[in-house]
Amino acid sequence: MSAIAEAPSIPLRAPGRTRSASALVTLAKRRASLTSKTPRQIAVPLLGPALLAVVVAPALKVATGGLHSHIDYTSFVGVGSVGLVIPLSCIFAGLSVLVDRHSGAQRELLAAPVPRAYLVLGNLIVAIGLATLQVAVLIGLSAIRGGAFHITGAGVAWFVAAALLFTVFMYGVAETLASKVTKQEDYVGATPAVAILPFFFAGALFPIGAMPGVLTAIAKAFPLTHALALMRYGFIDPSGKGLHDIWGMHNVAVEAWLSLAVVALYAVALTAISIRVFSRSAVS
Amino acid sequence: MSTGDTTDGHRPVLRSIDGLGMDAGMPAVQVSQLRKTYPGGVEAVKGIDFEVAAGEVFGLLGPNGAGKSTTIGMLTTTVRPTSGTARLAGYDVATQPLLARSVSSVVFQDAVVDGALSGRANLELHARLWGVPAARAGQRIKELVDAVGLSELIDRPVSSYSGGQRRRLEIARALVSTPRVLFLDEPTVGLDPRIRHELLDVIVGLRNREDMTILVTTHYLDEAQRLCDRVAIIHEGQIVALDSPQVLLAGLGREILEFRVDGSPQAALAALRERGVARDDGFAVGARVTVPLHEHAAADALAVIDSERLRVSEIATRVPTLDDVYLELTGARMDEAA
Repeated sequence: MSAIAEAPSIPLRAPGRTRSASALVTLAKRRASLTSKTPRQIAVPLLGPALLAVVVAPALKVATGGLHSHIDYTSFVGVGSVGLVIPLSCIFAGLSVLVDRHSGAQRELLAAPVPRAYLVLGNLIVAIGLATLQVAVLIGLSAIRGGAFHITGAGVAWFVAAALLFTVFMYGVAETLASKVTKQEDYVGATPAVAILPFFFAGALFPIGAMPGVLTAIAKAFPLTHALALMRYGFIDPSGKGLHDIWGMHNVAVEAWLSLAVVALYAVALTAISIRVFSRSAVS
Repeated sequence: MSTGDTTDGHRPVLRSIDGLGMDAGMPAVQVSQLRKTYPGGVEAVKGIDFEVAAGEVFGLLGPNGAGKSTTIGMLTTTVRPTSGTARLAGYDVATQPLLARSVSSVVFQDAVVDGALSGRANLELHARLWGVPAARAGQRIKELVDAVGLSELIDRPVSSYSGGQRRRLEIARALVSTPRVLFLDEPTVGLDPRIRHELLDVIVGLRNREDMTILVTTHYLDEAQRLCDRVAIIHEGQIVALDSPQVLLAGLGREILEFRVDGSPQAALAALRERGVARDDGFAVGARVTVPLHEHAAADALAVIDSERLRVSEIATRVPTLDDVYLELTGARMDEAA
């Protein structure tokens, strides 16, 4: 081992806007590097939803004759599967927070001169990127399997906005859960309730109006129900039938904005909660 | 912004950030009436006070549970103080946590690294988060990697490193940002003796070369004796002694007599005190009696033992260590408590 040369003076900088942005990018890059080292985090959340979109939906369409409406059932389930892939993707991403805490560099990050909220936001950026990739693959597979999509600029905007806000919401749920539980077993144990259960009530495989009235009412409280209705409004159902099932209005644009507001509200609330819970759990 | 560079190119001990930083002569670490009570009422730190001068190596000694890690946690802003204040380079850790963190780095007791990433990626992450300019970071990383002997391994995933290599990487990482205050929390715990000594050499080298304040916690007293300018012995959340190792040791004289008693060690100690050979700083732990001799010779003590017909064994004299200081102050063997 050799001696270290005289340390040059490093100009210390108080955290400013540029420095904050740089720190956020650094944290996101770190998370992306770690994620890319575990390809299963990218592929595994996609398997189940992809099977739904390319095997189950076309088979059910043949067996049941589809939705008996102008909406193609393969593309209906193709979009509905997004309601599974995003939660699973975010739950996997949240698992990495637990790994960070138990065997990673979380304490080093907590000792860094960056706001602790950035640790959550850096992870969120990567979770969004990963979910975007998975959703794109899923919709692509559904289209290849024969799903009928009507892509317009406005439709893409509604789809992206709904998917993005729902991802933000789900990552907030995952991060909050990861900060609350101490063991990976507990976290994994909560996954069915958090990530899978809403999928069956939110109209992913059938319109929510097909359920008993009580369950339809409950479904309207789930952000996933609103997100799926918006995504279908954007890609496969310009008449907004799913939005009508939720709001019962005659103006589909108003219904779309209302649903977007609901998803946005959930997203903002869960992001705030996740930051608060993480920051509190990081300091004893 | 003043970086305080001097004309001879050496980094001065004190710098300031936008006029907010420490003034010349200000301690690098100031702790005043710092207290931490955890939920449930466990009082881990009971109102401690100490200051560490810029450039000083300061040791916090004590067994596990004494309050060392809680103190470090409060200084590094991962434990919220219940009351009292702590400042790093003039920045209050409670009200200016970002600034306090910007002037400090920590080497944690256990491995805190991204194992899937390379050693270099771990160092670069630290550099970017602490705002070290890229060009300077590259040069600094190269120097540090050479200094801790990791040049051959630095581009391998950290998960392939041994425990000692990982600890050296963490020390290098903490130094990338040239912190004004470096916290070493039990830096050698869990390492085998050879690696422990190797690592101590690295730390001693740093101490000699870098103008930084080091606050090290340990329950290895030989380590503290070797590294520290001053030590605080912490026991049950309170500082029971604070001075240089030399002064603390001088309090016990130049030589210590130690023996094992077959019978009551307290009675043996009382007899030695009655005959003026032992003072109040003599102590017994289990069957073992330790007597600082001060102005007496070992022969005086042996004469008392003979005349009192004490049945003793394993009689030995030796120079005092910090272990004796700790035992004298706390009445408990440190490694037993640990």
